[in-house]
Amino acid sequence: MRNKHMLNIGSLLLLLALAACAALDNGMDLPAKHISAEDLGINPTTCTDCHEARGEKLAFGSFNHTATWGQTHRQQASQNEAVCSMCHQTSFCNDCHNSGSELKPSLKNQGETYRQTPHRGDYLSRHRIDGRVDPTSCFRCHGNPKSAQICAACHG
Amino acid sequence: MTIKKYLRLLLCFSLVLVTCAPLIAAAAELKVQSDTLFRAFSRNTSTETDAAVMPTYEYLQVDLENPDSPGLAFHLYGWGRADLADNDYFKDSTAGELLYGYLEYSQKQARFNARLGRQYVFEGVANESLDGLRLSSDLGKYFSGSVYAGQQVALASVNGRSGDSIYGGRLVNHMAGLYDLGLSYKKIRNDSEDAEEVTGFDMSVYLPHNVNLYGSSSFNLLTDSWAEHSYELTASVGPVSIRPYFQRFQYEDYFGTGANSANPFRFLADSNEQLVVLGSDLTLKVNEAWTLVGKGKNYDYQKLNDSSQYYAAQATWSGEEHSQIGAEIGFMVGDTAQNDYYLVRIFTYWDQLTETCPVDFISSDLVYVGYDQSIYGEDSSLFLSLGTGKKFMDDALELKLSADYSNDPYFDQDLRGMLTASYRFGKSL
Repeated sequence: MRNKHMLNIGSLLLLLALAACAALDNGMDLPAKHISAEDLGINPTTCTDCHEARGEKLAFGSFNHTATWGQTHRQQASQNEAVCSMCHQTSFCNDCHNSGSELKPSLKNQGETYRQTPHRGDYLSRHRIDGRVDPTSCFRCHGNPKSAQICAACHG
Repeated sequence: MTIKKYLRLLLCFSLVLVTCAPLIAAAAELKVQSDTLFRAFSRNTSTETDAAVMPTYEYLQVDLENPDSPGLAFHLYGWGRADLADNDYFKDSTAGELLYGYLEYSQKQARFNARLGRQYVFEGVANESLDGLRLSSDLGKYFSGSVYAGQQVALASVNGRSGDSIYGGRLVNHMAGLYDLGLSYKKIRNDSEDAEEVTGFDMSVYLPHNVNLYGSSSFNLLTDSWAEHSYELTASVGPVSIRPYFQRFQYEDYFGTGANSANPFRFLADSNEQLVVLGSDLTLKVNEAWTLVGKGKNYDYQKLNDSSQYYAAQATWSGEEHSQIGAEIGFMVGDTAQNDYYLVRIFTYWDQLTETCPVDFISSDLVYVGYDQSIYGEDSSLFLSLGTGKKFMDDALELKLSADYSNDPYFDQDLRGMLTASYRFGKSL
């Protein structure tokens, strides 16, 4: 009971601190939304086409959507959600990061082969090996009781 | 979740939408995107062999916001499924889900943002879907922070929601263009029992000569030990860039999610294994069109005293818009022959077609995998896919058709088809 009160008081203080500090100076001062691809005339996937790699507001070079970006954006995304959301709605991320949908990532947008979505082809067979070699990558999406239901049919 | 429950949820959020619409700035825009997928294939069911299965999926996204200025906004995204063949193929599966639906308030001052409702939180040690509240803000020039609290969506069906909770947050210290250092914390309780309590550290350091260092570590507070270390370096010299990385996972602490644990991960948590991954990507941008990528990765298992390696090479030609032609070849090799395979993928996507062409794009995909040891008597998997599509009504409606063929250890000469109708609607209110 005492721990609960401490937690409530701590949460309240944190919220008050957040609200108070919010009234202070702006930090990175980034816009909420990037200019859209339609208004820009190009698909803005290479940030350094317009911004400096080490800009005053952001290290834009870190967010260039390179040929391996589909497999390597984890650190940038988990540390800079606000940067991703300048261009992407959560639904875009959900195409792959969504174990609440029964369609595997590559299936929902089957024809969009350029998107490099995971689990392409016969992943049912390949996951037997990939899962043995590195189960940590399975866990990120299928690690909670609900998302692991898809594993339960065979893995119990 | 049944269709009835799904429709009830959609109705609730529609009411919220209607109620909140007048509160949102006069220049608000309503955007609706509907993706309807008609699939057809055949499967064995409990009562029939090669029964036709024809699921129809509806993915609906609604956004109500003022794109030009911060303020109040509403976002919703969910899916539902109906099986037109009405057999028992999907009898054990959920028929739909609200993926997110939340009210959002943001202001330019200090980038304050508040979200209330079902939402994804992906920051620091959190990778969660929750029903609750999240607040984030800059905290002066050099700090920013966020806190969230609510109930984990993943626990909704486990003995009800009583005693379930999730809360956490992240504090970041940043110097634009120099570094970002983050500390995060997450706690999940399932039926009043501790399921996860994790704290973590993450960093981005921007070193001289365009060398960047990214990484994160997570510490399992319930097992009192490090669960994961993941660090990578990126460096570019002219057209060549390299990304060496290191990862270390302690299975007991990484998979040990207490009351939340599920198989097969519960079993892995008990194995006391430690996995160390070392690897690197090497990218060569030959010119505006051609990109070559080489990948190498070593998996080392401390307890099993075993290792596996994955090597891959990839070549991609990119044209205007999304046009691409690419090929990839990869090899998994190691101490255990059961894990060895090679993979070949060739894909095309072409949207630079002449105006006389009746479609807007054509795509194809071939994935062939050869296994060193056969799986269910088959030593390979072949997957072929063809797709095309066309836009109508000033690009508001897009119809896409795809067909794929698979011959693999699980399915013998399996043919599947899918028709997708994507409709986008936008209106200024």
